Amino acid sequence: MERKKIMICDDDQGIVEMLELFLELEGFNVISEINSTNLIKQLTTHQPDLLLLDLWMPLLSGDQVIKIIRNTPEVKDLPVLILSASVDGAAIAEDLGANGFIAKPFDLDEITSKINAILSN
Amino acid sequence: MEEKNTHIDQLKQTNYNSNNDLDLYLKALNSAYSGIIITDNMQYDNPIIYCNKAFETISGYSHNEIIGHNCRFLQAQDRSQRQRQLLKESIQRGEECKVEIRNYRKDGTLFWNELFISPVKNEAGQVTHFIGVQNDITARKKAEHDLREEKAHVELKIQERTKELQEKETFLSSIIETVRESLLVLDANYIVLSANRHFLNSFKVSSEETLGKPLFELGKQQWNINSLKELLTQILPTNNPVIDYEVDNIFPHIGRKVMLLNAYRIEFEGHYKDRILIAFEDITEKKEQDQRKDDFLSIASHELKTPLTTIKGLVQILQRMSSDHSNEKFVSTLDKMSAYVDRLNLLITKLLDTSKIQSGLIELHMEPFDIDQTIREAIDNITLAVPGYEIQLSGTTGAIVRGDELQIMQVVNNLLSNAIKYSPDSNKVEVSIHKVANFVKISIRDYGMGISYQDRLKIFERFFRASHIQKKFPGLGIGLYVSHEIIANHNGTLWVESELGEGSTFNFTLPIINNDESHGA
Repeated sequence: MERKKIMICDDDQGIVEMLELFLELEGFNVISEINSTNLIKQLTTHQPDLLLLDLWMPLLSGDQVIKIIRNTPEVKDLPVLILSASVDGAAIAEDLGANGFIAKPFDLDEITSKINAILSN
Repeated sequence: MEEKNTHIDQLKQTNYNSNNDLDLYLKALNSAYSGIIITDNMQYDNPIIYCNKAFETISGYSHNEIIGHNCRFLQAQDRSQRQRQLLKESIQRGEECKVEIRNYRKDGTLFWNELFISPVKNEAGQVTHFIGVQNDITARKKAEHDLREEKAHVELKIQERTKELQEKETFLSSIIETVRESLLVLDANYIVLSANRHFLNSFKVSSEETLGKPLFELGKQQWNINSLKELLTQILPTNNPVIDYEVDNIFPHIGRKVMLLNAYRIEFEGHYKDRILIAFEDITEKKEQDQRKDDFLSIASHELKTPLTTIKGLVQILQRMSSDHSNEKFVSTLDKMSAYVDRLNLLITKLLDTSKIQSGLIELHMEPFDIDQTIREAIDNITLAVPGYEIQLSGTTGAIVRGDELQIMQVVNNLLSNAIKYSPDSNKVEVSIHKVANFVKISIRDYGMGISYQDRLKIFERFFRASHIQKKFPGLGIGLYVSHEIIANHNGTLWVESELGEGSTFNFTLPIINNDESHGA
């Protein structure tokens, strides 16, 4: 089976590295981007199967990113799983029409189960 | 002879008659109440040639001591009276005169003499005698004097009282002018009667544009708020004050401000019942500070959670990797790490909870649930987590409560953990659940160190920690605050009964919903 491609976008280097390590161990192809302003270009280039997206990021925040994605024809249907430590993350994710939300810090089991659930849809 | 005799007889007769008349006159003069003297103005120094009995009585001198003296002997050494000059001039001019003059009796005592002198003239118009009529008016003078004294005294008192009032008023107005609070006095029609300096300064207005105007028309009518009007109309008739009414508005000159308004009916010893005193407090900054504090907590917890996410993830990755190895110490070390990461996360979450609660953001997921079961589950969980403690449960209610079950669970967890944490020398905790009217009451009793009265007062405040436990037991001082807020949000109450050294009982109540409600929901 072809490996699924997952894009991680988070401004925190530690989280990105940890997730890269974990998801590769889980058998995913992982691409990451720390600077959210580069994200759309990366998405159109790599065409991932799923995006793990942080909310609070400098320059371009997660909610702005989602709106751009939904308005960019090449990636408008990309499933987005939001990861956030912010208080109202769940509510924002719902408002934005994201495909899922996980509160930071999370159990890795939760990451895999949510990713698999979204990808199998 | 006959004629002569007749003449003599006539003369005798006349003499007899005149003697009789004179006697009568003398008797009359002697029975008069007023002292009467006659002086001979034709002789040197105008001596007294007659005095009546009353004059003797008044002056204390006998007839013989009086006759031949000038009247001035009555003045003793008191010679400089203005009245004396008046008398002298009148005598010189041969005129009538009436004076009130200080005279002295033989024994030296003072008496006030109301003296009336009247000249007697001969056919040639020469003043031959003076008649002096004297009345002792000492008593009247004393009464007059006393009256004057009394009047002066009263006037002095009035002056003192007026001064006192003025001082009091100055004192009060200096307080009113000095207080760092804006004050207005309104009449019954909400017209501004006075405004203190702080009001004028902080609203950047002049007294001309404030005094005499209705409150609701000041500035850009920023006080023209219906609900405020309604409250203010209740003040005078009911004496119900307006307390901490918040007005968030844009004011001319000073921009957007949050004002706290307190209004009272003024009562001053039963007067001024138709006046309203309004105090305005600018709480804009305080509000902003509270907001900044909550923002800070919110950002801080977000920032703390970010690296924690990495650590937690890495620990879990290691745990997954190690499952293939059989090194038990390695595995248990990782498990401990994981547990402490979770604990750190819990602390951060609690910190954030307080900021959420403070800003009213916490969401309640209200659903009916079986409170007995929730309490049993909470006890089971903690028994598993902290073995060695005996947690006894007594009572059941069969009641259904509407609320956020997870949050109620959090409260019970907090209280049970505290009960265990603060009773290091005891291993017993008693939980009871009962129905009290239409509430359930849950009590958690420990046999630990107890809480002093001073600490009991503050125990539900945010970040409060009892002084004697600060070092011995770690904690942030958040759990009870959050619990208290959660129970309050559920329309219940949380309180504590405790004495130092005798353990504590934390109680909370939750309203029971009736059957219709539980089915209908």
